[in-house]
Amino acid sequence: MSSTQAPTQAAPKPAREGLGGRVVAAALGLFDAPMAWLQRALGLGAMPYAFLAPNVLFFGVFVFLPIAINLVYAVTGGVNIYPSQRPFVGADHFRALGDCASFLDPATCREDHFWRGVRNTLVFTFFQMIAMVGSALVTALVLNRRIVARGFFRAVFFFPVLLSPVVVALIWKWILQRDGLLNAALVAAGGEKILFLVEPTWAMAWAIFVSVWAHMGFYTLILLAGLQAIPADIYEAAEMDGTPPTRVFWRLTLPLLWPNLVVVLVLVLIRGVQTFDEVFVLTGGGPGTATLMVVQYIYETAFANPVQNFGLAGAASILLGALLFALTMLQLALARGKSKEARA
Amino acid sequence: MASLTLREVTKAYGATQILKGIDLEVADGEFVVFVGPSGCGKSTLLRAIAGLERVTSGRIAIDGRDVTQERASERGLAMVFQSYALYPHMSVYRNIAFALENLRMPREEIDARVRRAAKMLRLEPYLDRKPGALSGGQRQRVAIGRAVVRDPKIFLFDEPLSNLDAELRVATRKELAALHAEIGGTIIYVTHDQVEAMTLADRIVVLQAGKVEQIGAPLDLYNRPANRFVAGFIGSPKMNFLAAGSAPLAALAAPAGARTFGVRPEHAMIARDGEAADARLSVDIVERLGGESYAYGALQDGAPFCVRAGDALAARRGDSIGVRFDRARLHWFGEDDLALGA
Repeated sequence: MSSTQAPTQAAPKPAREGLGGRVVAAALGLFDAPMAWLQRALGLGAMPYAFLAPNVLFFGVFVFLPIAINLVYAVTGGVNIYPSQRPFVGADHFRALGDCASFLDPATCREDHFWRGVRNTLVFTFFQMIAMVGSALVTALVLNRRIVARGFFRAVFFFPVLLSPVVVALIWKWILQRDGLLNAALVAAGGEKILFLVEPTWAMAWAIFVSVWAHMGFYTLILLAGLQAIPADIYEAAEMDGTPPTRVFWRLTLPLLWPNLVVVLVLVLIRGVQTFDEVFVLTGGGPGTATLMVVQYIYETAFANPVQNFGLAGAASILLGALLFALTMLQLALARGKSKEARA
Repeated sequence: MASLTLREVTKAYGATQILKGIDLEVADGEFVVFVGPSGCGKSTLLRAIAGLERVTSGRIAIDGRDVTQERASERGLAMVFQSYALYPHMSVYRNIAFALENLRMPREEIDARVRRAAKMLRLEPYLDRKPGALSGGQRQRVAIGRAVVRDPKIFLFDEPLSNLDAELRVATRKELAALHAEIGGTIIYVTHDQVEAMTLADRIVVLQAGKVEQIGAPLDLYNRPANRFVAGFIGSPKMNFLAAGSAPLAALAAPAGARTFGVRPEHAMIARDGEAADARLSVDIVERLGGESYAYGALQDGAPFCVRAGDALAARRGDSIGVRFDRARLHWFGEDDLALGA
């Protein structure tokens, strides 16, 4: 270092260059005065709460308040929408939902549609989970290989996730309905029309398929991220160790992908229980009640039936909410267990 | 244990030639070190031998058997990776046993081998731990254990010490030398650290830009470098190079065709008072390491130069000191940078 060299001055503030920089600086400067005023008014200690307040307010109005109102509706009766004019009925709605001669046969229940919805939701969620996790895993494994046009295929599989559920359901409705594309193709090939959305088993199968098609890309993405986080040299070490490909999958890939797989499993489970829009647009819950889900039952009980039974719908919502809460806790527990193990 | 033969091995990624025709014979039980600057192709060459990279042309033979087209898993080699590449979800025991399980070896045999390797590498207390709970040096030993249990034809080491701190690196270097003495396997070892190369190797292969510059025993490379690159790469601090015919060399008789003169810092001496000096060094920096000192500076014609001195070098920045060259240890290089009179 030469002593004749002038020490460089540390700039007090990063100077904003150019017109864009000056505009941004001026815009940010607009907040200086009100913020200074707020800080004087509240004191420095209260400022974090001032910053949190807008979000808490929105969260309260749109999440906590509805939950509280829902509770009120669940324990009050009548058709009046004003809580003050609804008589208190206690656990009557819950008793009505649970009034069954046999829980295995929805027809013996007072609220048979609720129990059909529960059964359909369980069937839907179970098969959808198997199909979703299986196909997302296979897709992720394929997309993780060095295949031609990998980027293109990744986009193709993710694309349905970007579509609105209603759009997805409408597209498939046009394909699957009596005079839809698929039947046109069947007839052209010399076959007979199949009533995909009218036969109960077909309708449920297609509801599951459409749901898998629409959401698989999202779960594929999670699994793909997990696969890419596995260091390549571990596979090279396995190759040097003379490991057969099936053993590489079961002993290395699957265990190392497990944390991501747990996330996917639980998310699929939670979203399966919440299913409504796609199936509702595709089949309307039909034929009959073959694809009626719990959420659709709640919606119809509260808003679509001639008699709007807010109380019963509220009680069903609370039961559904409790189930989702339990599933979320399960996910948290599994995720924590895994991260603890990873740190060990 | 096995021998290895490379014939005209090349590797190209598109238009980029990484390996430009490598020929090499490694004898059974030999410890060979590939050394060279970053990007010289030494790791690529090791991975080609392992079978993790396909060669573009040429032949690789192990014990005379052509394995060029064989997969890595079929070649019977073991590799220790720079990152160790341990299986993070498996215990140390399972990591070491994994390759043996692939061979469907009987359980008792696997257990005996794993315990023998663990004892040799002082890993016995850690067999139930996962790699995440081990120190860098312990992970390193697990990686070596994983290679040793398989009794491979050839051990391949890809810069195995570069993730260890300086002290541990020296200790592990000694352990590796002891390990080789004990199990006597053929070892191919890649490093960019010429001290590792000098201390471990039976023979060193110096690589630069995908070509072999010289193959030889460590001291042969040090004493008789085949060209200017090897002369500069082996030895620390680096050999001094001066243009033949420049003023400091006036007293020396250059051989015919000489373009560059080279002398190592340890083969130049500081002239005592009254002694005739070959050149004069204007001192910029003095490094005092305790047992020895190095004076860095420029000769009278401005060429940078370093000279080793004893522990009591009194020279300071700006001093001018006389330098003598050890007449028996001079190097001359021709127009093509090849050593002259070697």
